[in-house]
Amino acid sequence: MSTVPGQLRPVAPDLPGAFLSTDHKRTAAKLAWLAFGLFALAGIFALLMRTELAEPGLQVVSSGTYDQLFTMHGSLMIYFVMTPLALALGLYFLPLQIGAADVAAPRLTSFGFWLIAGGAATMLTGFLTDGGAGRAGWTAYLPLSGQQGTPGPGMDMWVIGVILAASGATLIAATVLVTAFRNRAPGMSMFRIPPFCLTIVFTCLMTVTTFPVLVVAMSLLLAERLGAGVLEPGGGPALYQHLFWFYGHPVVYIMFFPFLGAVAEVVATFSRRRLFGYNALVISLLLFTGGSMAVWAHHMFATGVLSLPLNNWFAFSSHLLAVPAGMEYFALIATMVGGAILLRTPMLFALGFLAQFLVGGLTGILIGSPPVDYHVHDSYFIVGHFHYTLFAGSLFGALAGFYYWFPKVTGAMLRESLGKAHFVLLVIGTNLTFFPMLLVGYAGMPRRVADYPPEAGFSTDNLISSIGAGVIAISMLVFLANLIVSLRRREPAGDDPWGGQTLEWATSSPPPRLNFRSLPPIRSRTPLLDLREGREP
Amino acid sequence: MSEGGTRTDFGSVWTPYLYIAVAVAALVLGTMLWVVVRYRAREVDGATGDRPSWLKRLEAGWIVVVAATVAVLLILTFRSQERIAALGSDPPAASIDVTAFQWGWRFDYGSGVAVIGNSERIPTLVVPEGELVRFTLTSRDVIHSFWIPEERFKRDAFPGRDTEFGLVFDDAPSTGRCAEFCGLDHYRMDFRVLPLPPAEYADWLGRKAAEARS
Repeated sequence: MSTVPGQLRPVAPDLPGAFLSTDHKRTAAKLAWLAFGLFALAGIFALLMRTELAEPGLQVVSSGTYDQLFTMHGSLMIYFVMTPLALALGLYFLPLQIGAADVAAPRLTSFGFWLIAGGAATMLTGFLTDGGAGRAGWTAYLPLSGQQGTPGPGMDMWVIGVILAASGATLIAATVLVTAFRNRAPGMSMFRIPPFCLTIVFTCLMTVTTFPVLVVAMSLLLAERLGAGVLEPGGGPALYQHLFWFYGHPVVYIMFFPFLGAVAEVVATFSRRRLFGYNALVISLLLFTGGSMAVWAHHMFATGVLSLPLNNWFAFSSHLLAVPAGMEYFALIATMVGGAILLRTPMLFALGFLAQFLVGGLTGILIGSPPVDYHVHDSYFIVGHFHYTLFAGSLFGALAGFYYWFPKVTGAMLRESLGKAHFVLLVIGTNLTFFPMLLVGYAGMPRRVADYPPEAGFSTDNLISSIGAGVIAISMLVFLANLIVSLRRREPAGDDPWGGQTLEWATSSPPPRLNFRSLPPIRSRTPLLDLREGREP
Repeated sequence: MSEGGTRTDFGSVWTPYLYIAVAVAALVLGTMLWVVVRYRAREVDGATGDRPSWLKRLEAGWIVVVAATVAVLLILTFRSQERIAALGSDPPAASIDVTAFQWGWRFDYGSGVAVIGNSERIPTLVVPEGELVRFTLTSRDVIHSFWIPEERFKRDAFPGRDTEFGLVFDDAPSTGRCAEFCGLDHYRMDFRVLPLPPAEYADWLGRKAAEARS
């Protein structure tokens, strides 16, 4: 949607521009729209699954349909929602925060978007084929994902969809990375870039090093499905897992760090203080980025494929990541010390992120111990763990960023009351849904199951979990209502509604095509604080 | 080494880990709550105070505490790993071959004794109580996983691979489940686990062997 800066209402919708523009902001907006739309679809799949699991017995769908639902829920959320959303946030705001006019390669970035969109279309079209969509989990382990285990074109289209998504994401991440290195405004040295940009730089580093490995794994899978015999039983399935998880662990950090970065911006702004421990954040991100590529086989502890010393190594490397995690938590909480904290909606979501991600992170340390994992691997304990990190963590961080930056992107403020209602309902729904999963997984319920026996003792926790999913859905309707009301009856935001510290607040809402008409002097990490406090050059 | 088995071992790791995790959660959440209450803005444009000088030292101390905790946890883990490995290599009282398939289980006891079942007719894994049982696990088709929650233990069944491990059972019967998604009937590929006192187990095995010969 094109908007003349300073006007309250958008001008006529610009359809050619929506397709042809290479403005990084519009590419990012398209990517975000795609992610939001597919989030809703994947959410509907989740509601269907939770409806099925609310009580023992197959009442709602067949087991074959259920297998497609959980596969597509996970695949959409990881390949087409959280990863693209993380990149979209960086694509929109990194150039602004470093004082750049655009990204280093706008057309390549736009091409990346179309690859991702094409990948989603390909994967979803699988539903229309004879055998149905991909149904071997988002991880697609061999031999199940092979031609014999899962025959039909729907599974082939799933694999191609992943290849397209990973390729598009790599192009976007590479461009944003180069932009951070080469397009910084004068005075914006590398370690003056805001905390959010730091997280984006490391996110892009992880993306360009590990997403190509996913493309390799998927290409081998596709070749195997076409009869090439490259990943035959004996060693093939294990090799596939090694390749897949070399991507599969970094991707969860890729789906986390940009939102942690957004939370850092929000916490600093709404505490009215600069971030504490910038250097500690740099070191911790470096440790996480390198470490992310040294821990992958903690997803393979129970396979029996790794020797004891190797299992122990991956336990060791995985546990070590608790140290940088602790550093980051300290930095964020210490930022608030001595501050003047305003509990607006973005700050509520940021605090929710910090509190809830803790459950995900701590359960992560628990399962980083092989003896623990031998019990809970592939159970609902794992499902609970990664939903605490990804939903209760990353999504809350994404919402903190969304409520914070919505005024900059649209020029309109979101309603505080509806925002707070969204927050409260979402906290209740999130914990009702995912905490019982930890309990029922520990008690012996495997994951990826369409049903469970009534005598197993899983029924109560599953029912609570399903009720929680309903509460989440209601909270999202409140969110939707907020969006509609706020865009219909606009409260103009102005350039800087929050008293921000970083450069995106030094331009109009939304920014003009080349982002800035002029830039304030950049002599520290918080140019706008300097400007407001009248600092001498 | 054979006394206790994987369930006891699991407890010796899980319990300290859980206590430490809960303690860390309480500490972090409590600190957050205190900070948010203590430093709440009194007016909209409230000024901020100075950052306390002890924050940097507290940060260093915190990192040391986290690192030390990680070290303790790793020691617990490595010790348990040694014990589990010993279960897999000590001389067993019984040896059972397990073959997983879409969608059921086959248990081979040697001497032609085999128990086979599927999602329609759940098989029973009969085992001796209190003695080390060696398992050799494989799959006929896709990856499955042999999980006995009561034992706090699982291993994946890979086609074209034999995976060995050892378990010790106490007297409670329980249910085993498949824990690696393997297709349509993954959710009901269960098996019963029936531990018998060693003498009864020997009788059962003898009877089954006799049936197999005739």
